[in-house]
Amino acid sequence: MLMVTVAAVILLMIVPLGAGKKRLRPKGLQNLIESICVFLREEVARPALGESTDQFISFVWTIFFFILTLNLLGMVPTESAYYLITGRENHFGGAAATNIWITGALAMVTFILTHAAGIKRYGLLKYLSHLAPKVPLPILPLIYVLEIVSALVRPFALAIRLFANILAGHIILATFIGLIVIFKSWGVAVGSVAAIVAMSFLELLVAFIQTYIFTLLSTLFISLAIEAEHV
Amino acid sequence: MLAAGEPGSNSLAIFGAVFGCGMAIIGASIGIGFIGGKAAEAIARQPQIGGRILTAMIIAAALIEGLTFFALIICFLAIFWMKG
Repeated sequence: MLMVTVAAVILLMIVPLGAGKKRLRPKGLQNLIESICVFLREEVARPALGESTDQFISFVWTIFFFILTLNLLGMVPTESAYYLITGRENHFGGAAATNIWITGALAMVTFILTHAAGIKRYGLLKYLSHLAPKVPLPILPLIYVLEIVSALVRPFALAIRLFANILAGHIILATFIGLIVIFKSWGVAVGSVAAIVAMSFLELLVAFIQTYIFTLLSTLFISLAIEAEHV
Repeated sequence: MLAAGEPGSNSLAIFGAVFGCGMAIIGASIGIGFIGGKAAEAIARQPQIGGRILTAMIIAAALIEGLTFFALIICFLAIFWMKG
């Protein structure tokens, strides 16, 4: 709850700073945010969504920047810094995506948005009949059940993918630090710190990749719901 | 400590969970290794679209890893969150 609020406050403060003036050649923070937004709109949303890109692009941008801020804030060790400064044990900072409820909530937002968009465009019965392609009548119930099951499993897969990737990175870091606590020797500490630095680089890469995958898959699910591909 | 298989001990569950975790890793590493190899071959054939091939490879690897972590969470379930 705390980290989600902190991420929301940071985003609400920084993004309007970057999006304020319209310049012909953006530079600095505006260039950074705009280049990410243009990349998401042209490479991720437009191939999948087509004409409805402008309808859903704010959701795509919000999801990307929010999960990216959550993951990057999780790499900052505010808990240990607070302990070093004041000497009090606390649980102040951490990666919010290591909480299955937060990633589950994000996946549920995607789930509700995809089906609400599909139902709003086609109406409830027609949208439900779009779920199955044209197959011969005997196997139609089986295909229908498979499509319903896959539509229900998708948000779980989204949530668990993000949750387990970030959690695995943090568990590896905690294990390496625990090695220093167990062995209590300088050699192990040097090797362990080198391993922690390497794993932190990998974790940064995983943070970016997982936000991109979450955003890409959300866009793909929305495009599957709103385009009449099985007609 | 009770013997494995006796009612009231979960040592068999822990063994099964850890073994399942190892098998899930085998599947994932074969899959991702295959994708990496094919991506390297494709880049060797046509170096100018190396960027797009890299993107496709990263996406496929992340999807496979997602499924692996699914299996991993089920293993965690058996170790930490099962009663008795």
